[in-house]
Amino acid sequence: MATESSESEEEGKITGGNQHLIVEDDLREMGKKAAWSVSSCKTGNGVSSLRDDNLETYWQSDGAQPHLVNIQFQKKVKLQLVVLYVDFKLDESYTPSKISIRAGDGFHNLKEIKTVELVKPTGWVYLSLSGNDPRETFVNTFMLQIAVLSNHLNGRDTHVRQIKVYGPRPNPIPHQPFQFTSREFITYSTVR
Amino acid sequence: MEALLANYVEKSLKQYMRRNAIFLCERLYAEFPSEVNLQLLARCYLNNNQPHSAYHVLKGMQMAQSRYLFAVACLEMDLFSEAETALLPIEELCAHVTNGAAVQYLLGIIHRDTNRMKSSVEHFRKALSIDPLFWAAYEELCILGEAEEAAVCFGDVAIHYVQEHYLGNASSYLQIANSDQSLDSSQAFGLEDLSLSHLQQMEGNNIRNICLNNHGGPNLTGPVGQITNSCCNSSFFRTPSPVLTQLSDMAPPPLIRNIRFCQNEVSLRSSTQARREFVRENESAQIRGSLFFDSGRRRSARLAAAQRSFNSTQGSENKANNLRASIKLNSGTCYSTVCKGQFQNLEEAFRATSSSLSSSADVKSVQDETVNTQLRSFISNSSKIKSGISDTINLLRILGEGYRHLCEYRCQEALNVYQKLSSKQYNTGWVLSQVGKAYFELVDYLNADYAFSLARQISPYNLEGMDVYSTVLYLMKEDMKLKYLAQELISIDRFAPQAWCAIGNCYSFQKDHETALKSFQRAVQLNSRFPYAHTLSGHENVIIEDYGNAVECYQKALHVDARHYKSWYGLGMIYLRQEKIEFAEHHFRQAYRINPFSSVIMYYLGTTLEALKRSEEALVMMEKAIVTDNKNPLPKYSKANMLVTLGRLNEALEILEELKECYPRESSIYALMGEIYKQHKKYDKSMLHFGIALDLKPSIVDVAKIQAAIGKLILPDEIEDNL
Repeated sequence: MATESSESEEEGKITGGNQHLIVEDDLREMGKKAAWSVSSCKTGNGVSSLRDDNLETYWQSDGAQPHLVNIQFQKKVKLQLVVLYVDFKLDESYTPSKISIRAGDGFHNLKEIKTVELVKPTGWVYLSLSGNDPRETFVNTFMLQIAVLSNHLNGRDTHVRQIKVYGPRPNPIPHQPFQFTSREFITYSTVR
Repeated sequence: MEALLANYVEKSLKQYMRRNAIFLCERLYAEFPSEVNLQLLARCYLNNNQPHSAYHVLKGMQMAQSRYLFAVACLEMDLFSEAETALLPIEELCAHVTNGAAVQYLLGIIHRDTNRMKSSVEHFRKALSIDPLFWAAYEELCILGEAEEAAVCFGDVAIHYVQEHYLGNASSYLQIANSDQSLDSSQAFGLEDLSLSHLQQMEGNNIRNICLNNHGGPNLTGPVGQITNSCCNSSFFRTPSPVLTQLSDMAPPPLIRNIRFCQNEVSLRSSTQARREFVRENESAQIRGSLFFDSGRRRSARLAAAQRSFNSTQGSENKANNLRASIKLNSGTCYSTVCKGQFQNLEEAFRATSSSLSSSADVKSVQDETVNTQLRSFISNSSKIKSGISDTINLLRILGEGYRHLCEYRCQEALNVYQKLSSKQYNTGWVLSQVGKAYFELVDYLNADYAFSLARQISPYNLEGMDVYSTVLYLMKEDMKLKYLAQELISIDRFAPQAWCAIGNCYSFQKDHETALKSFQRAVQLNSRFPYAHTLSGHENVIIEDYGNAVECYQKALHVDARHYKSWYGLGMIYLRQEKIEFAEHHFRQAYRINPFSSVIMYYLGTTLEALKRSEEALVMMEKAIVTDNKNPLPKYSKANMLVTLGRLNEALEILEELKECYPRESSIYALMGEIYKQHKKYDKSMLHFGIALDLKPSIVDVAKIQAAIGKLILPDEIEDNL
């Protein structure tokens, strides 16, 4: 992952953001298979603005904090990365500052898996869901909830322009223990 | 005035002055409303790409030629049922229309497009039997997977048939002139006495009979019956017909049998014998070569190929013009192309001789001197014609054999056959495209690239096969070449589905799958009977994981061409991913049945069998895959994996060691070896291999797996230490 944002010494703080969305080839966007919902929204700035690939449109919440974005899948999926597009220069007090990511089977048993604090972000912000243990590279879950706990300058409502969720690509060749890496193996693995 | 206008219209058509032709023809028809003129008008419309006008003009007309043109117009507009009704009853149509083989071919196309495969095959076979040089019919048979060996279709029988057709009249004419043949000189030919139509009628019968004879096999009984029913000339051909049926079986005896048989008959027969002897004298070596059906010999191969290639060229050449120009035979659109210049004389002679022969029983006018002089010219021409015919049929045989092998995916044989062509024929766009396709199926992309690029240099306007070339470049990851190819193809012909397939491949390579899908769909729109466009759409849908649409696309491809094994493979892959393993097995097996030489298909079939827990069969299939293509590492890897599951760890290790030598940078090999060593409890070796596997940068999933595996390795060590 190319992250030009610098992580400050304090754990969980992210400053800046990327102008370009660059994700490894191994990962693919999983959001299309999910049902997206938000805790509240202003008319005209609803949840569809989060998924329209348009950075001009944004979701604006309209209620009490924390503001929630819920992503529900039909079956358990492995997720590895959440990417948000937020811009302090454009949104100022609407820019989220503290974000908590929770995962679970449903609304009843969500557990927090990551907290991060953004400091004046301007662009794509990458939030990896991996733990330190190699066995925890992915989060295998039915549901993901992104909670905006607080905003910059103590704003009440929040603007988020785009959210993308990434998980690993499955093995293109089913029923093989490991994926192939070398060119010769890959050449012989498909018929086109 | 009518004749003048008609003539002028024909002239305009020949010179492609279409609007002129249409206008004048409309005036002609208004002035002299006859069905013949209507046919001419329809031909003008068809020439100008207005099948709908031709359709309306000819609707309801009953003359044979009108029905034929009406059927052509209907086919252009995809009105299959109307076309079919117009073309029936067949026999009557074949007798009256100049191109009986074409009628059968059209019926074959109609049946194929309306899903009646068996009858379609029959029609194509009949077309080929009526006209052994009808390449398009043979091509369709190959695509349907029902083609007989080229050597049979374009064999000595066919050569003989064609030669007889052209030479028969001449030779009999000549033989009668040859006094030493003890011919009844009074049996001279009243050339002028016979009307052309009578001649044509007989010609039609003769040729049809001989064709049917030549085709061999199931058609043999038919013609004999027909022959007995036919008119006066039947006696002439009764002699050869049983002989000809023998011809299809073996080579040497027929010639002798012909002669013997001939000798038993009256003068009519003796003329046949004389003709054959004459033929033999002049072309003994050649005919012996063809008759002594030695498939190993180049000559006969050339003959067959000639016929085949002839059929192929026939499609591309202007059959009709030649035929009409040289002969006005009913059965011989094909023949016209063969005998462009050379045959002209011979055909006239043939016509003359056949007419005279048939009428010899009736007419006994003696014209010896004319006979003699004409005989001499015939002798000189006939030898040229015969050699021409055998060369053509040789060429067709090679090309047909190659094409058939390729359609049945025997790629190495196809390549070998194509090598036999002369360099003039080999270095043409069509042949080089075929060679490229053969290499593509053999997963030899470098050679395929070379062959295709050569084809493009030689005939850059020929887009057939370029879709496969774009796939080759895609698989070779040559995106510059791929982009260049796509640009070129589009600039040549924006409406060719192959060009859009190339563009789709470009976009797919750039990972812009939505646009790639759109391009493939555009190719489908341009020609919905182009199966590869459907298959590629299916592949793209699979990449973007839209399995529902992918299944639809593959099924459309199979609807067009049930022998498109890539679609079967695509469906199998989808079901494998969705864990519908029995379905997957069925589809992979179908793909395997169609292309039993693809190691990739065998590999997937083996994988599916393993998933179904049929391990022995799976192993057998993997072995087959390894044997088929030694360069394919996947079956070996999969075999090693299966051996691990079966507990045969050492054998698995051996295979993996070999693979490691050839592919030192393949992470999965080391990962699997790590697993094996772990089971052997050789933890340090296991660790080593896992480490190398990680260094080779596998995918994220595998990194996690391998790291987890390493973690588990350490634990047993610790446990042992603690104990």
